[in-house]
This record gives sequence, structure tokens and C-alpha cells, in this order.
Amino acid sequence: MPKVTINDRTVEVEKGATLVDAALKVGVQIPHYCYHPRLSVVGQCRMCLVDIWDRGRKMPKLQAACSMKVENDNWVVRTDTPEVQEAQKGMMEFFLINHPLDCPICDQAGECGLQDYSFKHGVAFSRFQFEDKRTYPGRERIPLGSNVILNMNRCIQCTRCVRFTQEISQTAELGFFNRGARAEIGTFPGKPLENHLSTCVVDICPVGALTSTRFRFAERVFYLDKKPSICTGCEVGCNVTMEHRRGKIKRYKPRFNPEVNDYWMCDYGRSTFERYEKLPRLAAVRVRPEATGNGGFYGGWKEALDLVHRRLREANGSSVAILGSAFLTTEEAYLLNKLAGALGTPHRSVPVDLGPTWTIPNLKGGISGQEQAPNRRGAELVGLTPGEVREGGTLLDATALLKGDAAAQADVVIVSDSDFSEAAHNPQVVERLRRAKLLIVFGWCDSPLAKVADIALPVSTHAEKDGTFVNVEWRLQHFGAAFPAPGQTRPLVDVLVDLLARYDASWSKLTTGQVFDRLASEHPAFAGLSWDDIPAVGVTLNVPQARAAVDAATASAVQEI
Amino acid sequence: MFEPVLTRNVGNPDALTLKGYKKAGGYEALAKAIKMEPDGIIEEVKKSGLRGRGGAGFSAGLKWSFIPKDKKPKYLVCNADESEPGTFKDRLLMEYDPHQLIEGCAICCWAVQANTCYIYIRGEYTKSAEILERALKEAYEGGILGKSMMGSGFELNMYVHRGAGAYICGEETGMLESLEGKRGQPRVKPPFPAVVGAFGAPTVINNVETLCNVPHIITRGADWFKGIGTDERNTGPKLYAISGHVERPGTYEHPIGITFREMLEKAGGMYKGGNLKAFIPGGASAPILPADQIDIKMDFDTVAKAGSMLGSAAVIVMDDTTCMVRSVARLAKFFNHESCGQCTPCREGTNWMELILKRLEHGEGTEADGEKLLSICQHIAGNSLCALGDAAVGPVKSLVERFMPEIEQHVRERRCPFPERRYFGKNVGNGA
Repeated sequence: MPKVTINDRTVEVEKGATLVDAALKVGVQIPHYCYHPRLSVVGQCRMCLVDIWDRGRKMPKLQAACSMKVENDNWVVRTDTPEVQEAQKGMMEFFLINHPLDCPICDQAGECGLQDYSFKHGVAFSRFQFEDKRTYPGRERIPLGSNVILNMNRCIQCTRCVRFTQEISQTAELGFFNRGARAEIGTFPGKPLENHLSTCVVDICPVGALTSTRFRFAERVFYLDKKPSICTGCEVGCNVTMEHRRGKIKRYKPRFNPEVNDYWMCDYGRSTFERYEKLPRLAAVRVRPEATGNGGFYGGWKEALDLVHRRLREANGSSVAILGSAFLTTEEAYLLNKLAGALGTPHRSVPVDLGPTWTIPNLKGGISGQEQAPNRRGAELVGLTPGEVREGGTLLDATALLKGDAAAQADVVIVSDSDFSEAAHNPQVVERLRRAKLLIVFGWCDSPLAKVADIALPVSTHAEKDGTFVNVEWRLQHFGAAFPAPGQTRPLVDVLVDLLARYDASWSKLTTGQVFDRLASEHPAFAGLSWDDIPAVGVTLNVPQARAAVDAATASAVQEI
Repeated sequence: MFEPVLTRNVGNPDALTLKGYKKAGGYEALAKAIKMEPDGIIEEVKKSGLRGRGGAGFSAGLKWSFIPKDKKPKYLVCNADESEPGTFKDRLLMEYDPHQLIEGCAICCWAVQANTCYIYIRGEYTKSAEILERALKEAYEGGILGKSMMGSGFELNMYVHRGAGAYICGEETGMLESLEGKRGQPRVKPPFPAVVGAFGAPTVINNVETLCNVPHIITRGADWFKGIGTDERNTGPKLYAISGHVERPGTYEHPIGITFREMLEKAGGMYKGGNLKAFIPGGASAPILPADQIDIKMDFDTVAKAGSMLGSAAVIVMDDTTCMVRSVARLAKFFNHESCGQCTPCREGTNWMELILKRLEHGEGTEADGEKLLSICQHIAGNSLCALGDAAVGPVKSLVERFMPEIEQHVRERRCPFPERRYFGKNVGNGA
């Protein structure tokens, strides 16, 4: 592999790597706007100019680091010579002379490339004193599509968005129109920016020219706290940064994971957290007086779990139906399955909604999801699947419970969680489930189902708990709690551990990590994994399907060669 | 007395037809060339010292030798997008002697083994394009082009492609983009067109005049060609398009390296006997030279040493009634209008320079403007994506460096000291 020396530090890079990427390897950030690792190189912002010595001879001009590819060992690069600094100063001046400098009302302020680089490379005063700034009258708030709004005055013509629609989404809605200082970005007549990835252009816009209708004016970005998380929109499991303030999620931004979603995510995924605000929250333990069997319920979690334990003991264990959810973390599903084991019931299932199939492009060609279920695979891997029914009996699985009259045959129906799918909001389904003698619902959401439950127990949203999901490619991915759960709400893992401790004391006070480690020691798919060692990009589980997929990929790669 | 080479058929209407051109000795060079090894032609052109006549002055033979031998297909693109203000030399060659260009292209194609040649002509040159198209048709019918070039079995197809009037499409990679049907804007280099050019294939790009020289080098030999001109590095005949304050503006053919004084005399001297104030030696993008450089030899190296460039050898002469600030402001307006808007320094810098120069011309300048202009020039020059940025800097920089007293006079008097002649609008706006 060729070597290159950047600011006295030598690094080996892959042949053909750009200097911008090579410099990052030695911790040197070369400022750039138009360059993006997944888009074609156009070298037009001219911010990444560097000095290069080729075999000891200085190149006559400064070179754009984004377009210089390291092919051999000949180069010595400096990013801090007076010439480079002067050029950067000049470029920053050029960017800003016609920029409105409306940072106080700009959504990008706080994460803006112009702010960052002018602080680092620019000057504090303007020499553009006597001339009028170029403006694009009437183009300050143009909706490019339903998700993106363009303010042309702020644009620095880097054309990242244009190249994104040409190369990544391959829909080519955006174009670069006009010339020179009047050049502008726009859509073609009658062809708005509507593709399932459209909001990604807002992420890659280095300035505030493109803003998202969803996040516009919602919050100043410098007030946001950030937590790495996983999108719950579908089985792809896009890595996201959950940006939140005061216990409310404000937006999702895609988080780079080359194995899953690369730099992108879909518009639907970005909207999934809105559910947490839109639907009413189940905030307190709620028990119907009839459910106690002795007049009324007074107390909190301890009393509620004692009651659940008592009612389950009274019931016929094998006629308890457990309706899980594909939104459960793997640990929760594991504990729920343990509960089923303690009760001796075969009636365990995970209902799944199908949505439209969307593909997130990545270097491997893309990853598609159709099930609106972030963790069906995880739940099934730890055994939350229907068991054997004794002769003559019927299996009370999701289909039977939701579409048929099976609930009436069950002594107890335990639903986790209250928002397990769209069905939880369907009056007919709620009515069917209500036919059970006892209906216990865990959930974050006071859905119609939770409202009719005998015992409704408030648990965390996925923003408020730790856990793992297994995605469509059998990749185990970890996420953490962004903020504490409100009110009486507790993470489901804590609740189930408490409940299981009433059957077996060894479960007492286990943390999510300890639950995962137990799970990993029991299930071969998770063999060798431990909570503390799950890599940031996730890890592919050792399951036959995943192995088959890897083999198929290798086979096709061999054929291509 | 210098005997014209490139313009020998000008004034001979017969040369427009294949028969007439052949009668005047045409296509002999091509016949000779196809008997030579392609590498031999490249060597001969290299030996002749022929330098690109489009502006950069890069050795033509060297350019051809960069084309990889093993790759197919390859292309030749003839740059006939003559849009530099002041330049009108290629038009003459295309309108009076189209077959000379076709012959030059054919020899070049044989030398680099390219089977396709595009002549990218600027959209405004409708007459030239029609004449070329007619000549091409004749050449196909006469067996010069087509499946078998002059019976050699070498397939050669030649097309005229009309541009749409953008200056930037004269930049070689901008032209390739336009040729491919995309938005005409330069590509990032490297890779250079010799490696990745039109449609991703190796491509030679040469100016019309450069290619027109080739047949004469083949027939008369490199040594004859080297005999014309000042020295080893500046050889051959050269067309000079002279305009401005001269008695007889037009295109003149001189041996390269003629002095400016001699050239001016041949064009009839200054208009109405005026006094020379300044001249631009190589089209709008060349820095302006003051009158004391009147004895300069008009070749690539001498002009470059004097701090300008020969460029396309479009000489614009200005007498002492010319306001330099106004002239340069007009040039700045041109470059601002023609900037493609891709790269930052050119897009923002040319616009800013025009605004400052207009302000100066309207008497609203300040003392600091000269220095500001120089600093903007410094930030554009060498930092832009293509050469348009450097071109825009040329006249402005020379204005500040060589005609500073005039700027100061504008600032001091708060008006333009020259009589109002052709004004280009009082509006200090966006330059649109």
C-alpha cells in the first residue's frame, strides 16, 4: 500500500485513497465542502487546497486534496504552509461575501460548515463593504419536495445535493442551473424532490441552504444532546444519532455504519420518533379494581407485580398466552420467554406488520427492509416463538389472537408492548383480546389496548432503555438510553427481572448487560458475545441464515471475479 | 517577404471545394502521412517545435505522445470554440480553407490512431459550420474520410458539433462535457483528457490553427518549419488577430516572433494617427502591456517574460483616449458573465472584481480598492478549478500593477476622467 507523509506524519493508505481521507488517518482535518466520501469528486469548493511535494519537488500550484489520489510513495503534503493558509482565508472570504450571515435565524447554526471553517480558517472582518450582496429574490423558502426546503441565498453551490440525487438515490430530481455568480440549485419543472431518501440532502448540505420540514425551527442544534441509537422503523436497523432535549426526541440523523446504512437513512425512519409525542403516554401503573379480586388496588410497582404474580399462579399456566412484539429488545424478549418457561405455556408469538420495501444504499449494494419490526429476528432467536401444543389443544399465537377468537380460550393474555403493531389501535382487535379473563399489558403508550387492560404497566420507550436489536442481515446492534424514563415508567428489563425473581431468586436485580450475558451463554447464535464487547458497528450473529447469506455473497463475488 | 502558409488559400474561392483544394496541393500531406508510421508523424511534429495555438502554447507533438497506444477507442477533438474576446483567427481558416483543417485533423487522427474526430465549433459561427459541413460531405464522397481513409483501410469519421455559445466550453474539459451532452463545465484534473477524455476514452484536443499547421509540417518537413520564427522554442507561422485602435483591423499571418511595432505598421498604424497607450497581446485573458513594450517580440516566451502571454495572439490595441478602468471593468464583466459557477474563487471572485471595477469607474472608488483587487487576484489565481479564473485575473492584475495612477485619478476626481463613449450601465448590481 502506498505511503504518504502529511504534516510530518507518514501513513499507509489504500491505493487511490484521496488526500482528505488519508489526512484524517493521521488526525489532520483538511477543510472541505464539496467532497463527500460517497459522492463523485468534483473539486469545486477549493477549500481543501494543500501543498504537495512530488519526489521533493514542490508542485507549482496548490492542489485540491479531494481530487489528489495517492498512487505511490512520492508525496509529501503540508496543510499548514502560509500559501495554504492564505488560500483558505481567501476561500472563506469568497464564501461569505454573498452569504446572508443570518445565523441567528438559521437552522444550521451550530453545525454549519461555514461557521466552523470561518472560525478556524477565516478572518473576523469583511472587506465586502460597498457592494450589495447577491440575493435570489423569491427563492428564500422554496419547498423542493415535501421534506426539504431550499433557501438559495445561503447556498454555497457545493452541489453535494445534486450529486446525491444523481448517484445515491439515482432519481436525479435536482440540477445546477444558470452560470457564474447566478448559479443556483433547483428541481426540474414538474419533478419535485420526492424519494424515500430525500432528507439526506439536508444532512449533507454543509450550510443552511437545505432544511428539513420536519426539524425546521424545532430546536437550536447547540441545545441538543446526542445519543447513538437504532432506528425502529423497519428491520434494517439504521444507525442513528438520537438528538434530544429535556426528554423529548427532536430528530434522528443517520450515523455512519458502512455495514448497514452507510451515511444514509430513509424519510420514514426519521419520522418514527414522532409516535412517542403523538400518542398518549402510559405514565402510571393502572389496575382495574376487578382485577385484584379483593376490592381495589393501592400501591405501586411492587404491589402490581405481586398482583401479576398472584394472578398468574392462580391461572392455568399452560393457558396463558404471551403476545410479544418485534419492538422488544433481545433481552426483553429473552426474559419474556423465560416467563413463558416458568409458566409452562407454549403460546408465545411475535406479530409483525409489513410495510413498503425500502432500500438504503450502501457499499455492498444496499439493504432492504419490509417488516416494520426492528427486532423480530432477535425475539425469535431467543425463543419467543410458538411452542408445542399438547394433543387436542389449539395454539394461541398472534394470528389466532388477533384475527380469531382465541383470547376467549386463554386464562391470561400478556401483551408486551401496548403498541406492538397497528393492530393495538384497531378496535376490533382490542375487543377480541379483551375477551381474555385477564389482560395484562406492558407498554409505553396508552393505546386503546392499554386502556381496556386489567393491569397496564408503564415501561420505557426505546429511547429510555439499553438493549440490542437484530436486523434483517442478522446483525446484532447495541443502543443505549438517551434520557431517563419519566414518572413511574421503568425499563421492561427491570420489570421482568423483578417478576422472574419471584419464581427464581437468581434473576434478582440483574442489569440489562447481565441479562445479555446470560442470554449469550444459553443461545448458540450469540455464543462468545458479551455485553461490553459488542462492536460499535454491530456484529453478525452465528446463525445458519446469516452464514448462508455470507456464503452466497462470497460465491457471487467469486463469480464476478 | 514572408510567404503566407496557413492563409495561402485565402482569396482563392476554389479552395472551398475538394477539387480546387487538391489542385492547390491539398491532401498531398495526408497521402504522405499514411505512408509514414504514426510514431514517425508524432516525432516529426515534436521536432518541428509546433506549440498549441489555442492559448497555452503546449507542444503539440508532446501532447499526442501522451495518448496511450493500447487503448481503444480514442478521440480527436478539434477546438473551434473560438470565444476569447478579440480572437477571430480560426474563423478565417474555417471559412476560407476548410479542407486544410480536415487534412490536419486526419493526419492527427492517423498519428494517434483515433478513428473519430469531433470539430467542436462555437454556436455563433453558423457560416463556418456550414462551410465545414459541406467540405466534410465532399471529403466523405471523395474517399478522404469514411471506412477507408484515402484507401488506407483506416476508418475515420469526422463530425461538426455546434456549441451553444458558452465561453467556458472552450476550456478543454468543459468542451468534452458539452460534447457528451452535459452541462458545459470543466472537470477536475487529473485525470487529464489524454487519459480520460471524451466518453471516458483517451482524447487529443487541439486548436484549429494548430491542426492547420500539421499538413505543412508533413509536406515541407520539420526543419523548414523550424526555420520560421525566433528560436528553437517559438517556431512556425502564426495568425495574429489585430483589433482596436488600428487603421486596418483583421487577421494577419506573420512568422511567429514579429515585433509588435512591425505588426502595427502592417495593420496600417494607429487609428487616425493616435498615440499608443496600451495593448493586450493575447486575447482578453492576457495581462495588458503598456506602450513602452512596443518593440516586444510577439512569441510565446518573450511575451511571457514581459509579464503577459501570447495566448491566442488576439492583439487588442488601445490609444490614449481609452479609459483603462472602463476597459478592464468591461473585461471583468465578461469573465463574470462567463464563469460557470462551479468553483468558489472564480464564481465569487470574478463577480466581486466586476463590482469593484464598476464602482471605481463610476467614481465611487476608495484608495484601498487597488490593494483589494490585487488580493482578490491573488486568491483566485492558481486556486480555481480551470484556467478561467487565471484568465479573469490577468487584465485586472495588470491594471493595478501598471496603470495605478489612472485608478488613483478616478478615486481623486470621483469620476471617470475620460469622455463617455460606450457605457455599460450605471447599475452597480449583480453584473447580470
